[in-house]
Amino acid sequence: MGLLSLHDVQHGYGGRQVLAIRELDLERGSVAAVVGPNGSGKSTLLRLLACVEAPARGTVLLDGQAVRSGSDRRRARQRITLVEQRPFLFASTVRENLRYALSLHGVRGPTAESRLGTALQRLGIGGLGDRNARGLSEGEAQKVAIARALALEPDALLLDEPASAADPTSTGALYRILDQERRRGAALCFASHQLEEAYRWSDRLLALTDGQASPVTPENLFRTDLPPGSGTKTVRAGPLTLQVYTDKSGPAIVALPPDDIVVSPEPLHSSARNAFRGRIRRISEDGRGGVTLAVDAGVDLVVRITHSALAELGLTIGSPVVLSIKTMAVRVF
Amino acid sequence: MDFFTDGLRRGAQLILGGDAEVLGITWLSLKVALVATLLACGLGVPLGFVVGTTRFWGRRAALTAFNTLLAFPTVVVGLLIWGLLARRGPLGELGLLYTWVAIVIAEVVLAVPIAAALTAAAVQTVDPRVRRTALTLGAGTWRAHWAVAREARFALMSGVMVAFGRVLAEVGAAMIVGGNIRYHTRTLTTAVALATSQGDFALAMALGLVLLALALTVNLILQLFQGHGAA
Repeated sequence: MGLLSLHDVQHGYGGRQVLAIRELDLERGSVAAVVGPNGSGKSTLLRLLACVEAPARGTVLLDGQAVRSGSDRRRARQRITLVEQRPFLFASTVRENLRYALSLHGVRGPTAESRLGTALQRLGIGGLGDRNARGLSEGEAQKVAIARALALEPDALLLDEPASAADPTSTGALYRILDQERRRGAALCFASHQLEEAYRWSDRLLALTDGQASPVTPENLFRTDLPPGSGTKTVRAGPLTLQVYTDKSGPAIVALPPDDIVVSPEPLHSSARNAFRGRIRRISEDGRGGVTLAVDAGVDLVVRITHSALAELGLTIGSPVVLSIKTMAVRVF
Repeated sequence: MDFFTDGLRRGAQLILGGDAEVLGITWLSLKVALVATLLACGLGVPLGFVVGTTRFWGRRAALTAFNTLLAFPTVVVGLLIWGLLARRGPLGELGLLYTWVAIVIAEVVLAVPIAAALTAAAVQTVDPRVRRTALTLGAGTWRAHWAVAREARFALMSGVMVAFGRVLAEVGAAMIVGGNIRYHTRTLTTAVALATSQGDFALAMALGLVLLALALTVNLILQLFQGHGAA
């Protein structure tokens, strides 16, 4: 049982369901990443986890105890903190913003001063302490909001797109701070639309599509270990063996872009070096005028094709298919 | 024009000379206005806060009701309160008709919708992230509401001042339920109405000047608050 969990949760606004999650566990000392396009329910998920909103249905559990009443949520919020994507800072100094947060946790006086000083230092914004929070740049404001959350030393730290306004250097520094929090024993969860970022800095990844946990590996991404040298290499990607073309070596992520995978009933006589047999598990509209197939090829792969291709090939759920992708089309990063 | 300047001069003499009756009327007006504003805001501000910040069935209807009540004719309110407090009325036993308390009750009825409507409008314009941020930082419901109120404080203060202004300047209801009894329920506005009808233009002018001075003071206080806000 994790520190913070969702169980059979559904939530919506104005009669429209935006989130339906069967099970989600955030463990102490771990980092979970939530990925998905805009409007996929990431922010709603974080707000429910933060106990800022109560789910329309289902249960939020903290330490295995259901968080039901308003006072349960209030107690939970003393241990969980959320940093929103466009964080709000009160119209006072940066230091006052942190002081206010600490005062809500009953931390005042010298203890508060030392904790807020440390938090600002960790984010590298010790010099901003006396600035008016409303006069900060977007990137600075985001750092202040994160420092404000860190000063509270929460058991669970939730962040919505924490690096959306950060430059590449700050992004690395920020995620290293989050990693320190993980080692402290906190449960972390961040939302991102940057798959690379999510993969790199999380232990676990939850992909959301239209408010539902996507049963497929998001966009066919796999961790792998590349042999040294350059040119065409054979690598293991989950249960698949792939030919890739790259100069990189060592730990890497390979991606099979869903639009570059060719679907056929039988193996093709083509230049594609990568071919996998599988069965169609799911067929759905992709929302962009095409069709998304989930194909079980030892691992679930997402493939996007057109409506006419689907009709021509006469594909239905359970149809055996061969998926092919050219060596050069496999992306490595 | 002599008529006017003469009125003004005699009015100034009455005020500066510390005429006991004028002072008494001024004090009663201020007392009624302050007590009524306090009570109306005590009821109206929380009501407006709830309607402005929470989503519930009938919320739109409540907002429409507040806005309609803003234009409620004061003599009709006076009439209704008179009916309630009259000897034969449901609350006649309390013996409140033609007392300053009756005026306060009528003014409260008039000012509650103002306080509620302006509070609702003020808190509705507050960034929704204010409440959420306070909550995510560990605030309980009350502390989160307080954070919203702090953000809206200047607009809330304006609402209170508008309510005070309405109560201070009100004449119809005060006349009906107060009865304009000398030394008891005669307020600045009812006294001006009476003095004018009796042809005592100087007294009416003096009382009018006092009323203006009070209104001016209220506005100055408001501007002082807003000036601090802008700094």
